[in-house]
Amino acid sequence: MRANFIFSEVWIGLRRNLTMTIAVVVTVAVGMGLLGIGLMINSQVSSLTNYWMDRVELSVFLCGKNDAFPACKNKGAITQDQKTNLKKAIEGLPDVQKVDYEDQNQAYQNFKENGGNNILLSVIKPEDLPESFRVKLKDPDKASAVEESLKGQVGVSNIVNQRQILDSVFGFMGKLRNMALAIAILMVLAATLLIGNTVRLSAYNRRRETGIMRLVGASNVYIQLPFVMEGVIAGLIGGVLAAVLLIVTKILIFDQIQMYMTAPLSWNTLAGVITLTMVVGVVICLLASFVTLRRYLKV
Amino acid sequence: MIHFDNVSKVYANQNRPALDHVSVDVDKGEFVFLVGPSGSGKSTFLRLVLKEERPNSGAIHVAGKDLAKLSNFKVPHLRRRIGCVFQDFRLLPKKNVYENVAFALEVIGKPRRFIRKVVPEVIELVGLEGKAHRMPEELSGGEQQRVAMARAFVNRPMILLADEPTGNIDPATSIGIMKVLDRINRTGTTVLMATHDAAIVDSMRKRVVELEDGKIVRDQSRGVYGQAY
Repeated sequence: MRANFIFSEVWIGLRRNLTMTIAVVVTVAVGMGLLGIGLMINSQVSSLTNYWMDRVELSVFLCGKNDAFPACKNKGAITQDQKTNLKKAIEGLPDVQKVDYEDQNQAYQNFKENGGNNILLSVIKPEDLPESFRVKLKDPDKASAVEESLKGQVGVSNIVNQRQILDSVFGFMGKLRNMALAIAILMVLAATLLIGNTVRLSAYNRRRETGIMRLVGASNVYIQLPFVMEGVIAGLIGGVLAAVLLIVTKILIFDQIQMYMTAPLSWNTLAGVITLTMVVGVVICLLASFVTLRRYLKV
Repeated sequence: MIHFDNVSKVYANQNRPALDHVSVDVDKGEFVFLVGPSGSGKSTFLRLVLKEERPNSGAIHVAGKDLAKLSNFKVPHLRRRIGCVFQDFRLLPKKNVYENVAFALEVIGKPRRFIRKVVPEVIELVGLEGKAHRMPEELSGGEQQRVAMARAFVNRPMILLADEPTGNIDPATSIGIMKVLDRINRTGTTVLMATHDAAIVDSMRKRVVELEDGKIVRDQSRGVYGQAY
């Protein structure tokens, strides 16, 4: 009887305020979707960061025969002596853990494996690729310092600091995440106000009923629950749409870039994210409804 | 049943009190008219009984409860023992007679079987048998007020408050309304009726409490409306 009554009231309220209900559902869906995407990016960034920061290398490329780098110009290819000296010098630096030599054939193999495109592969021969030292560091944060001290050494054409590349990638993902979260916060704010407004409209539409309910001694729960439920159900529908949005995002975006990721976004992580966004959505709806009702449905 | 002890009520932003040191006792089963010109404090008196307003000073007891000590969440239980009828009926236009009366029981969580049993009884008591499935707009003003009375009485309250129940109804129909109120009073329900209607007060010969500018100027058992009106 009670449940019956409350659900029919909720249904009537949602239908009477259809446009507002749709606005709430869409806002909650978009807001919670962005919050979820932000959280998903975050989990990917942190697992990537952990993985890559341990593997950061400096690539010290060596002068080839006709290299155009200013450091090598007119000096010809690096000699075997110079190579040995350079390796010793690098190994002598306090922050260096390990130095590996990569010759032209290895460089060509790596280039092929790392998905160089076919047109380039057909043109490039192993002789075109430079030799290099791959320098592994004890502390990835010291990469710039090591790079500075190796610059200008005899036979060094160019130094690529992977840390810089990674930083720009992570920086970009971090910005994406921050943007998603910032928009999510705005949407949550908008959703809160919209829910407040919807509940207020609903309360106004049914002031006659609630007035009579008060007079005949209906308890506060009985009077207020239909309105709160309205907000919560709109929020729940929004949350379900957000969950669909997040699942689609995982399949269409995160799973597509999986090959670049060390740890692909798991369904478990997604489930956690969805649960969290649902809870946030419903709690926001509850609070917004309650606060509004306290102002517009006095006992 | 209703006990006012030195009750004063001043609304915010008004210097003149709506009720000024009012003391009244209404016993169980009494029928009391509350008369006086507009703004004399009749409605404030009724609102205080319902705890819709709080007095600035003085003590109010209703149905044995000290309203000052009654916590907010117990107010609904107080209101279940008090029925209310108004000048403007306050029916739900999208519900028929039966549903309007049943609504009062549904929202306090009464079981469906109980509702099916008592609603037809009370519809008969107010003289609307055979009209249970009419919509309010199909009824005359007098009939609508009977529906409102049925709704107020269906939960068998100890007190029935009526705020100008005949205010929108022609004199001939008013007599029928008064008969229903009298019938309700005879079941042992205390009736407190605020009114302007001199003819009704004179014909009923019940207790009359007259308010003027928030003060009680007359309290007569078996009184009339008064010479001045």
